[in-house]
Amino acid sequence: MNRPATLLVAFLVTFATITAGSAVAGYATADGTAPSPEIENDHYLEEDLINDGTPGQADVTMSSDESSQTVVVDPGVEAGGTPGLGLLALLGFGGPDVADRDIRPLANALIENGHDVRVYAPDDDQRRPRDSPDGEPTTLGEELAEADAFVTFRTDYSDEELEDIESFVDGDGRVLLATEPGATFEQPGPASLDARLDVTTGTGYVYNMAENDLNYQRVYAEPDADSALTADVDRAVFPTATTVGTAAGSAEFRPIAGSELSTTRAATEEPLLVRDDGVVMVGDSDFLSPENAQRADNDVLIGNLADFLVTNDRNPARQPPNTDDRAGPTGPTGPTGPTQPQEPTENATSAGGSDTATAR
Amino acid sequence: MLCRFPVWPYSGMSTDTLSSTVTPRRQIAAVVLAAALLGVVFAPTVYGMTNETSDAVAVVEIEGPVNTALADDVESELTSIRGNESVGAVVLKIDTSGGAPVASERIYKAVQRTGEEMTVIASVQEISASGGYYAMAPADEIYVLPTSLVGSIGLNAPSPRTTSPISGPSGPDKVGGNAIEGWAERQTLADTFVNAMMAERGETFRMPREEVAKADVYLGTEAVRNGFADEIGSLNEAIHAAATAEDLGDYRVDTRETGPDSPFPILIRTDQQVVAVHANDPGYGDVEPMGVAYVHLDSVPHVDTIERFSADDISAERAGAAADGSGAADESGADGTTDGSAPAGAGGASA
Repeated sequence: MNRPATLLVAFLVTFATITAGSAVAGYATADGTAPSPEIENDHYLEEDLINDGTPGQADVTMSSDESSQTVVVDPGVEAGGTPGLGLLALLGFGGPDVADRDIRPLANALIENGHDVRVYAPDDDQRRPRDSPDGEPTTLGEELAEADAFVTFRTDYSDEELEDIESFVDGDGRVLLATEPGATFEQPGPASLDARLDVTTGTGYVYNMAENDLNYQRVYAEPDADSALTADVDRAVFPTATTVGTAAGSAEFRPIAGSELSTTRAATEEPLLVRDDGVVMVGDSDFLSPENAQRADNDVLIGNLADFLVTNDRNPARQPPNTDDRAGPTGPTGPTGPTQPQEPTENATSAGGSDTATAR
Repeated sequence: MLCRFPVWPYSGMSTDTLSSTVTPRRQIAAVVLAAALLGVVFAPTVYGMTNETSDAVAVVEIEGPVNTALADDVESELTSIRGNESVGAVVLKIDTSGGAPVASERIYKAVQRTGEEMTVIASVQEISASGGYYAMAPADEIYVLPTSLVGSIGLNAPSPRTTSPISGPSGPDKVGGNAIEGWAERQTLADTFVNAMMAERGETFRMPREEVAKADVYLGTEAVRNGFADEIGSLNEAIHAAATAEDLGDYRVDTRETGPDSPFPILIRTDQQVVAVHANDPGYGDVEPMGVAYVHLDSVPHVDTIERFSADDISAERAGAAADGSGAADESGADGTTDGSAPAGAGGASA
């Protein structure tokens, strides 16, 4: 092999050795994306992870066959200052506030069974407690004078209005008071209404972390004993409820085991719905809304409450509050026969009361 | 002038001739000199190779709101770390009150994958709550400082509402929705979070699932007792523990910054929900509503609070501008304004 050929071979061998070495080194030290280890996260695949969002069905029926009664509803003033917007708003029209249609299932049941539902919607000047001029009847008093039952979500009444409500109860009128945990803090004077109706409102709200209706604040409640209000109800759902009490009456619904109170973080069995003769107090108002009426046995409970409201011994023509007596001493002006609240279907309402209501 | 000295190779001098002209002593000296020069050139490289240990503990910073940008960075860094044989252990330096559910899950999965290959220790600075806790839960150990905050295992979401009929959408759930379905969806989101935490640390928590789901936050001193954390210790102690767990001996610390360079986004809560704001003077594209969030709400300022303090700043700036740009009479008026606003600001701060 001549000299140029030797030099060429030496060049090629050296070049090939260096480039091949570089290739091997590069391959050996390649730093690409590392393979990801496979990880099984079984907790994402648990069968009961997905909560059932089926809204459910509601069938609010009344067992009472009472003739037409008049039920006055005070939808109350929203915490943010938004007033009630009247019957249309109450039934879901004309107002942006969902709260204004909260009792449509109850109102519908009453209307379908021939009863008269009136909405007490105070004007701007009356949305906060304000004493009426001496001798002048309050607007609420005028409404209650013609009513057999009163449903209210409001607590900040004036002294005169409180007097009318108390007279109404003394005159065998039925009252359903639905409060909310926030009402204790946001509205003045709820204790005054509680005192007039001989009921109490607890502090904080009830929750249940273990067993609830899709949220810890949407608590289940069970009947405390068999009664007209608890008939055929296994469980009711109360969203954001506070505890309530009564001195002389009875507990109707208590939260299920495992429920706790927000203020104490301790277990509570305090009732969420109580009854003292003609007064029912419930520590929640949202359970009456259309979507919540479809949960658990809320529809049955609403039907029972409708029966409670229309089954009374009241005769508006002869029992207070009577606006004609505003200037005189307040007190019962007519017969106030004993009520038998546990057996509403056996308490026939006087024909005079019904006639008065329907003749409006 | 002709060169007097023979020039090799043109001189045609043979090897024998060279040997005769360069003595063996000189040849050795030349070789030693050449070796010394080469040695000086390569010495720093060799020194660096021998002086720097091949083992490293990577410190991955997870700070600020947990969002997509942060998750992108953390995933990328942890992937790089897993492919880097010199990294023997990872410490997550955590300081976040949470954020978006999906971003939290992404970091959670990335930490899980990394934990399969090496020791991962989380070191909580001020707070690791909600989505932040979610992200670090797969770590082998959680280090906290005595007053760090950890926990808040739960979901923040506005109350679902049934909406009035809306004309236009192709289906009833396209816009709006059913309240009960909304409650179910929220509860599933919350359960997903709680279940994951129970799977990761259920045996460590010294409380039942229902108590964990209350979403409380705990100080570090309490967290090491109830199982929300494992050790009280600083970042350095966490790094040392990670290195020790992997028998690294000598090691270096390789810090990996993540997330955006700017201090944004910041989280602000309104009465309805939490929003992420991506600019100091945000335009339409800089505000990102977060319908649902794994976030510790107490750590997120309310927009009213920000507006109140901003109003104080603005009034102070205006007063200052008036004082700078006017005469003595105007200055006295500006001072009065400033004096009047200062106590209000102080009162707001103390409240």
